[in-house]
Amino acid sequence: MAAIQGIELSKSFQHFQVLNRVSFEVKEGECYALFGPNGAGKTTLLRILATLHRPTGGRFEIGGYDGLRERMKVRESLFLISHGSYLYDDLSVLENIRFAIGLRGGNPTDPQIKRALDRVGIGAFAALKSRHLSAGMKKRLSIAKAMLVRPKVLLLDEAYASLDERGVDMMNAYIREVTQEGMTVFITAHDRAKTAEVAHRAGVLNRGELRELAVSELLTAHALF
Amino acid sequence: MHFFNVIRWIAWKDLLSELRNRENISSMFFFALIVILIFSFSFSLDPKTSQELMPGIIWIAFGFTGIIGLGKSFLAEVHNDCMEYFQIVPAPKGAIYLGKFAGNALFMLIVEVILFPLFILFFNLDVLEKIPMILLIFVAATIGLSALGTLFSALTVQIRAREVMFPILLLPLAVPIFIGAVEATRGVFSGDPLPLYSDWIKLLVVFDLIFMVVSFWVFEFILDY
Repeated sequence: MAAIQGIELSKSFQHFQVLNRVSFEVKEGECYALFGPNGAGKTTLLRILATLHRPTGGRFEIGGYDGLRERMKVRESLFLISHGSYLYDDLSVLENIRFAIGLRGGNPTDPQIKRALDRVGIGAFAALKSRHLSAGMKKRLSIAKAMLVRPKVLLLDEAYASLDERGVDMMNAYIREVTQEGMTVFITAHDRAKTAEVAHRAGVLNRGELRELAVSELLTAHALF
Repeated sequence: MHFFNVIRWIAWKDLLSELRNRENISSMFFFALIVILIFSFSFSLDPKTSQELMPGIIWIAFGFTGIIGLGKSFLAEVHNDCMEYFQIVPAPKGAIYLGKFAGNALFMLIVEVILFPLFILFFNLDVLEKIPMILLIFVAATIGLSALGTLFSALTVQIRAREVMFPILLLPLAVPIFIGAVEATRGVFSGDPLPLYSDWIKLLVVFDLIFMVVSFWVFEFILDY
């Protein structure tokens, strides 16, 4: 069954066509990696799937729910890790997690939160105010939130951005683990080698068109776009 | 249940942030204090004139204090894209509005309760036995102002001219609240029997309800597409 389905999705900003009737399908438990040059529309596509942007044409489904008409159901199914960390500077790491997950209706215990923070390597900073976190630590915190939410679909924008080498390995271990458990992961990235370690399928978005490619091409192709 | 939990989480987050940085309450408090000092040094009022003028002076101070606080209500959400998280989180948007409203109304009431004794002190007001009724008027007017202010703060927070736009939008619609609050306060200060000024309190309650219901409904369209 398709966990994510995009059907002829189009998006334009003023007169600039970013997506031109893009169609794709990602199955349950798959990791789909999207590549493309800067400004190709990767983030735009991800934000459409996250229900942050309304497409100018076409439609999409997440977990069988219509992305335009059943937005609440879609939002319950997915979790987005994007450029924004969604953190409040005056709250601690622990409080930020409690708040973010509390709004989703979750109520993780402190030991559960601590375990997730330990897994992403920032357990020692649980009491620290989030204003003191580096960009990489904020990214790790977002992954910890995803671990606690356990969504059906995980959307990862610039999956490895801000992460150090250990962070990238931790991210890949997490993606491998959750896809084996049936979670669907949709990522945008630039690091072909690292992405090839976890991706089941890949695509290149360029000039508004999406072209599917084999994962092996990520390692062998001279240039993707 | 989730609905009320969302209200609780938002109000908890706002109160905790405010307790830590005291940004809103301190700026509101010092503005109102300056208003009190300027008026107290400008006029030497006999008790009768004082009864006539004080309701207006009090609501000038509280009204503009409220504008300062309410205008900043969503500023914390602008940092780190937290406004975006409000959009994609699977929580009723109306509950998010009510949570923000609850925090704002509470801040305003705290400032009003701290400042009112200063009005009594500086202007020799003989109103001690009338305090329950005065508090009731404060609560009724604060609910209306916060209901409108929370909505317009969300509406203007992402625009460049927000500091200009916020009062331009808020003040004309808040006129019935100010009129009701001033007239009801005047009735209490003059020692009039309740039936003589109860219509003004009813007016406040009616506008509270109208502003709450409309803002609750409109907030979803501000936050979502």
